[in-house]
Amino acid sequence: MTAEHVIRAQGLRKVYGKRAALDGLSLSVAQGQLYGLAGPNGAGKTTLIRTLCGLLRPDEGEATLLGWKMPSTRVRSQLGYMPQDFAVYNDLSVMQNLEFFGQLYSLRRAQVRERADELLDLVQLTDRKRDRVGTFSGGMRRRVSLAISLLHKPRLAFLDEPTAGVDPKLRRSFWDYFNALADQDVTLVVTTHLVEEAQRCHLVGFLMAGKLLTQGKPEEILAQTGTDNLDDAFIVLQERGEVPS
Amino acid sequence: MTSLAVARNVLRRILRDGRTLALIIILPLFFVLIYGNSFSGSYSDLTIVIVNADNGLASVRTQEVGRITLTVDLAAAFVSALDPDVFDIVILDDADEAFSMVGTEAWAALAFPKSFSNAVVSQAIRSSGERKVQFEGSSVTLLPSEIDAGPPTRLVIDDSNPLVASAVIAAFNDAFTAVLETQQSSVTVESLLNVQRLYEGKIRMLDFTAPGIIGFAMTLITVMLTAMAVVRERTGGTLTRILIAPISAWEVTMGYTLAFSLIALFQAAELFLVSLWLFDIRFVGDPGAVILVIVLFAVGLQGIATLMSTVAKNEAQAMQFVLFLLIPSIMLSGVFWPLETMPATMRAISYAIPLTYANSALRKIMLTGQGLGALTFELSVLGAIAVVTLLLSVISMRRQAYTA
Ligand SMILES: Nc1ncnc2c1ncn2[C@@H]1O[C@H](COP(=O)(O)OP(=O)(O)OP(=O)(O)O)[C@@H](O)[C@H]1O
Ligand SMILES: [Mg+2]
Repeated sequence: MTAEHVIRAQGLRKVYGKRAALDGLSLSVAQGQLYGLAGPNGAGKTTLIRTLCGLLRPDEGEATLLGWKMPSTRVRSQLGYMPQDFAVYNDLSVMQNLEFFGQLYSLRRAQVRERADELLDLVQLTDRKRDRVGTFSGGMRRRVSLAISLLHKPRLAFLDEPTAGVDPKLRRSFWDYFNALADQDVTLVVTTHLVEEAQRCHLVGFLMAGKLLTQGKPEEILAQTGTDNLDDAFIVLQERGEVPS
Repeated sequence: MTSLAVARNVLRRILRDGRTLALIIILPLFFVLIYGNSFSGSYSDLTIVIVNADNGLASVRTQEVGRITLTVDLAAAFVSALDPDVFDIVILDDADEAFSMVGTEAWAALAFPKSFSNAVVSQAIRSSGERKVQFEGSSVTLLPSEIDAGPPTRLVIDDSNPLVASAVIAAFNDAFTAVLETQQSSVTVESLLNVQRLYEGKIRMLDFTAPGIIGFAMTLITVMLTAMAVVRERTGGTLTRILIAPISAWEVTMGYTLAFSLIALFQAAELFLVSLWLFDIRFVGDPGAVILVIVLFAVGLQGIATLMSTVAKNEAQAMQFVLFLLIPSIMLSGVFWPLETMPATMRAISYAIPLTYANSALRKIMLTGQGLGALTFELSVLGAIAVVTLLLSVISMRRQAYTA
């Protein structure tokens, strides 16, 4: 790979009680890649993302984003993070949410408006932008959360299940958008449980019990597991992972 | 009974969380211990100043040997009759200096004139008639002499705190009575003392408690509001979002502080205006000084609230943590009964409560019209609390991102 590695993680370990949520995990992602994180519930995807973003301190190992050792304040303006739970102000309208977070990234009013127009169009909430987020359905709230995360045009974004609970039509347009971002050299790490989503990634990493079981292009994973679709491939991988070798 | 299932579930969830359980056990204990220890009703360490110019001599006429001079030292006897547990007695030579200390360093100043003993004895003989005493080995009969009351004994008392003022006067009465009884005289305390009240008795109990009650209302509202807001920001996940943005924990804390200080100022204005309008509470000082006190006080309260929100897992716990500040605030900060009535251990807690200083400063401004110069101590402590808790809450904000 010729491109610069914007994410580097070396030997990350995070232990909760007796269980290791991350178990000596190493990972590199090059600039402009759309990296899919897959793996069963509790595999450590969210823990990995939070650790990479500097929101959790690993017990061992270290992570660098854009060349800065995390946690670092230097990457913040270029970093996007969409948490797995909604993390939006339910008592504010969509626009008020966007305006506030835009201000945190020092976006000017006009910039916020311009970005909001684009993103609200993406998440299909333009006609509801004056409504309080608390009145929204679960899928709609997640769409607001995604819009907030991408508002400041991050160079590197971690999206934790951005499409969970989102209807299939919108899901597809989200992924079109992610691909377009990657084409513009934005690096994206997206967690998903959906095979058709994993298929649209440049690289897929399959996590299990805090370890990166395997990583590769979707077609490489198919070849590795001898299956013809990623659904089966993931199940094969998961079953392999469960059998202690 | 499904109610039992619900009850069991509620209890199980409470018992499972160590922190909630600890709070449930500790709070009532904390409450009772503070109440029981603070509400003693007796005073201690009241500073008073005494100037004793009494020469201790009484010159009296006798039937047998003409005029004689007795050494009675009544002022000294009075001073030693004062309860040392109640008073911290400062002895000075200069009466003017002593009187000038009242209201700032001392609760009361008492100046015995040179002829105090003489005046008391001659009054006693006049009111109780002739009596026999032993003088140089023989019995003599004392005769009433010409009226020579001399200058009165001046007592200047700080009545900004009506409770302390009446306690001081009562204690003086007791001491005088004790001394005079040994003289078997019917002289009254009133006839000996010229009492001058610094505020002419104009400060009512309502005026006296109003600054503290207003301060307590502010503590209650500011701490609750801040702690809730921070916990909500954290549990709602938006704090993580804020802290991952290019904004420092310092800026976040300052933002919170700014917002809640504005709210606190607004509430303070409301509290003051309504109290003035409806209850005509005494307010003789500078409103600007009050604003300064309120701002420093409010910032400190927010700092404390933010720190509490760090250790609280959720809103319910935050509420309970807040009580650990509220209970001592109302009972130990001198709002109702002065610090001087509390045992030393409790007073140590008092000095850790912001309201103690806010109350003292507000009283000085509102009741006695003292200026900023007299508030240096209170303002420094409130300022220090504000700065320290603010710095700590910046650290705690940073930490909250990791626990969110
Ligand atoms: N705060 C915590 N305390 C204790 N254990 C935790 C904590 N956070 C995560 N874990 C554990 O770490 C493991 C990994 O959790 P994580 O949330 O990273 O999984 P995930 O891969 O994101 O799962 P999902 O697909 O369900 O989102 C799980 O076993 C979880 O129970
Ligand atoms: Mg997850």
